[in-house]
Amino acid sequence: MSFFVRFWGVRGSIPTPGPQTQRYGGNTSCVEVEVDGVRYICDAGSGIRELGIELMSSNLGKLKAHFFFSHMHWDHIQGFPFFGPVYVPDNHFTIWGPKTGDRRFARLLQGQMHSSYFPVDFQDLGGTIHADDLGDGDRVVDGVRVRVFHQHHPGVSYAYRFERDGVSVVYATDSEIDLDLDDPDLPMRDSRALRAVPSDLVEFCRGADLLIADGQYTDAQYPKFVGWGHARATTVTDLAVHAQVKQLAVFHHDPMHTDEQIDMLVKHCQDRAERHGSDMLVFGAREGFELELGQQF
Amino acid sequence: MDETLDGKLAFAKTEATDISMLPKRLVRRPHMFQIVEGDIPPRTIPLTRDTMVVGRSNQADVRIMTADLSRMHMRVERTRRGFKCIDLGSRNGVYVNHVRVRSAILRDGDHVQLGNVVLMYHEGS
Repeated sequence: MSFFVRFWGVRGSIPTPGPQTQRYGGNTSCVEVEVDGVRYICDAGSGIRELGIELMSSNLGKLKAHFFFSHMHWDHIQGFPFFGPVYVPDNHFTIWGPKTGDRRFARLLQGQMHSSYFPVDFQDLGGTIHADDLGDGDRVVDGVRVRVFHQHHPGVSYAYRFERDGVSVVYATDSEIDLDLDDPDLPMRDSRALRAVPSDLVEFCRGADLLIADGQYTDAQYPKFVGWGHARATTVTDLAVHAQVKQLAVFHHDPMHTDEQIDMLVKHCQDRAERHGSDMLVFGAREGFELELGQQF
Repeated sequence: MDETLDGKLAFAKTEATDISMLPKRLVRRPHMFQIVEGDIPPRTIPLTRDTMVVGRSNQADVRIMTADLSRMHMRVERTRRGFKCIDLGSRNGVYVNHVRVRSAILRDGDHVQLGNVVLMYHEGS
């Protein structure tokens, strides 16, 4: 079995090209999971454009891919009309809704391509695009078990866990975990204390080979943005420690953060995990990184 | 004093400068790796070709003779997004800034670890 994860867009809110974001990258959310040649695309932020270019230049023949959206905020869908493979006849895409009968994501993608916003109508895309759903939130899609988890975000968002033969990745962006905690400020009083995280979320992430999680804010920033739908990086670190994941990719970088600021934020999380006896690898999600999961380290 | 097109006064006159000693064209610095750790002498490796293989084999474009490296350990190739390093199925893996990667687009200052050898990537001009 082969199990790859590729980061095409890791930035939150809005694309931020420029010299200060060159290393981590300025494209908005898009992560590709490829298991035995089948592609599972998480979100269609501006990063998906590069994925499209890569796929179009790879001469793979007919393309089949599954789309999973965390939610429909702009930074997670804005790249879709620029994803070249959807214009190619014979390519086939499924847009998965998170629960039985839920086809909103497909409808909203169509709306984004209304002539008021974009010159090409959704109906004129050459590829075949159809909508399906994950039923009760746990379904096998082309041999990969996909589970869904409801998250705290304005208008709701969803995390997905992709698993095959004991190898797993959790994609959990745009989630304000702090609002689900009984005592989110505990580490402000006791820097050595680990926040208690809801057990259902911990179990959802349990033992993942890779957790990709929204860690947009520093501890100092967060109080100014309560209710905006994003977590403190130290909170997702606490989640990852509880869930004993193998690797944590801090994701959805703040558009105001430079590469150096992300370095500092990630270092803080690494130190925190280490202080709590965790040997997981913590790193900042970065455009252009491709990881192979399930390998022995 | 001269008067410029927008009517402002320019107080400094243009001075003639002898440019005969300047280089005839700008010097381009190649993309390169610098060996910064490992049981081998430090050196720089200019990435002068579009594709180069690093490993122990005498078929490798860049030969690094330490036991930790596989014979064909890593390929480095020029892409539209920058130089990309790709693990060729090596025994000890390719780590970019401590993250084990199958491949990665490299950026200035990245540390690429192959066994006990660490290469620092310098973006050229």
